Amino acid sequence: MARRRFSDTLILADGKICCGACERPLAAADRSWKEQAALTVVPVASLPGAGLGTDSRIVLRRFACSGCGSLLETEVALPEDPFLEDRIVVAG
Amino acid sequence: MDPITFSIIRHRLFRVVEEAVMTLKHVSGSAITNEGHDLMVSLYRADGSLLMGGVGFLHHLTSAAEACKAIIRRFDGQIHEGDLFLLNDPYTAALHTSDIYLIAPIHYQGRLVAWSACFVHVFDIGAMNPGGFAPDAVDIFTEGFSSPGLKLIDRGEMRQDVWDTILNMVRGPEMVALDLRSMIACNNVAGERLIALFEKYGAEIVDDACRMLIEQSEQRLRERLRELPDGQWQSRQYLEVKGETYRVVLTMRKQGDELVFDFTGSSPQSKYSVNCSKWASLGGLFAPLFPLLCYDITWNEGVIRPVRMIAPEGSIVNCARPAPVSVATVGAIQSVNNAACATIGKMLAASERYAEESTAVWHANHFAIFMFGTNQRGGLSIGILTETFAGAGGARHVGDGVDIGGEIPNPISRMANVETIEATFPVRYLFRRRLKDSGGPGRHRGGTGGEMMIVAHDAPDGGIDYVVSGKGTKFPQSDGLAGGYPGALNDYVWIHADESDATAFAGSLADMKGRHEPISWGVYPLRGKDGLYVRWNGGGGLGDPLDRPAEQVVNDVTAGAISTRAAEEVYGVAFKDGVLDPTLTEARRRDLKARRLQEVA
Repeated sequence: MARRRFSDTLILADGKICCGACERPLAAADRSWKEQAALTVVPVASLPGAGLGTDSRIVLRRFACSGCGSLLETEVALPEDPFLEDRIVVAG
Repeated sequence: MDPITFSIIRHRLFRVVEEAVMTLKHVSGSAITNEGHDLMVSLYRADGSLLMGGVGFLHHLTSAAEACKAIIRRFDGQIHEGDLFLLNDPYTAALHTSDIYLIAPIHYQGRLVAWSACFVHVFDIGAMNPGGFAPDAVDIFTEGFSSPGLKLIDRGEMRQDVWDTILNMVRGPEMVALDLRSMIACNNVAGERLIALFEKYGAEIVDDACRMLIEQSEQRLRERLRELPDGQWQSRQYLEVKGETYRVVLTMRKQGDELVFDFTGSSPQSKYSVNCSKWASLGGLFAPLFPLLCYDITWNEGVIRPVRMIAPEGSIVNCARPAPVSVATVGAIQSVNNAACATIGKMLAASERYAEESTAVWHANHFAIFMFGTNQRGGLSIGILTETFAGAGGARHVGDGVDIGGEIPNPISRMANVETIEATFPVRYLFRRRLKDSGGPGRHRGGTGGEMMIVAHDAPDGGIDYVVSGKGTKFPQSDGLAGGYPGALNDYVWIHADESDATAFAGSLADMKGRHEPISWGVYPLRGKDGLYVRWNGGGGLGDPLDRPAEQVVNDVTAGAISTRAAEEVYGVAFKDGVLDPTLTEARRRDLKARRLQEVA
């Protein structure tokens, strides 16, 4: 199986983006893997260390492997904003 | 050219810059320069292209190159040996008006062979608010003296009329004069040392070495880019000013040996002075690129060639004149820094070869508080709280971020001793220390930021005033990487103290009696028994916090870097009678992972 890194937590294997910990396929290489991930959303204001002025709307999106629960990526976002999308070009 | 001569000349060029930096610091009397290292010195070729980028704030390297080119265009045919030029217009090349560029042509045997350029954030520039950052400014015309290029020294002779005009427009002219003289001395040293190099090796050999150095940098960066995967990586930063939210949106695309930074989708320009001009954005993206991708490559024009920027006109990253920009360096420029750091970090993490160079975002937000007023000796003091330069390291692939560990855009940034600030301003520190829970959680934790509180002390006028042009109190900006959490946010709190003396030795914000008012933008007093509390952000974390060895989490708790609550809720560590319980920890971590599976996006 042809494998290469997609990120610190994801791999590309046989044209699919997979969890680097359990190798569960999440999406085709040209699709959004985040759509297939387990997502939990936490208000930043509720995290330890939050400041006095933290905006109540801002959240931390936590994308985890839907198989093993390993945390794959986080992003800070306002609810109306789309997921950040990273892509690796796969030759051929 | 033989490689030994080439290497000697390359190292000599770097030493020229280093010696010029030392000169700048020794002559300057400003804490922001010689304590905070808010400075930059670099060398340019005869055509203005960057030859040897120095240390200091790196987002100036490309802007000063454009400043050289602007001077060459404006003064074509009037550039002579012994001249010195000044430029600080952000719509020509600079970042904001208070960061003045002094640019000197360097002649050898009557021929223009190079330029040196430097900047410091001058004591004052005559903007609406003292110190240069002007939250009250409504346009560039209210941000003080601004020049697209003027000749300050003509063939070795100071143009006294120009000098007097500048100093007539600023507060604390004697201090601004010292700032300018420190830069003149810096350029003089750079010029003398460079001429000595030309005398030793001859113009042709040195010029050849300079050309080769640029070609080498371009070749090496292009090779590195070819080794990295092709793809695109996105990042997004939020800024808030007085209830208005702005976005800096970046898609970085890498194909072959070229890199494109595309800011399409970023917010329209602001009515507030957080905007940046296109030169500022260009410098902003290069500030993390130099150290993260070119840590072993000479920072010069060759690094710039493979990189392109797309910044929509009229946006917060490419504003149109006369939009105000005085807060740019701690406003949108820093968001551009952070966004570029995040995307470069993700690109490195996608590479087998370079993954260990990846990093989460470092200290992402300056708080830029300028104090001003009558000092304990009856004179005028204006200056920045240099804690803003203390920073916090982002977590790296190979380890934790360094607590209060500086920042990516300025490899030599630092803060002044408490005693230095207390000797300069009529204030007293109640405390200054690391801030618990400020480093972004992760397998590798982000470095902590800090917190501090000051009160007025021995003030002839009963206190002083200060300008806050802060952001970063609403939205975290030190993004985590690969599952790491972001670093904590900034806070600025004006404590309206009650009349008791119980607050005179307060050890924390909670100890400070009275009404606590969060502030972030404008001019405020520090008088009577009132206090100013500031906390600054930590670096982003890297990796899943549940993968952090439990013993390291316990050490963090013991050291005061994180709270027990964070250890339990974020890191999944369990204690029994105050001691780590490995069995309970394993069970808690399993449970926290299972809870993540409850929802699919």
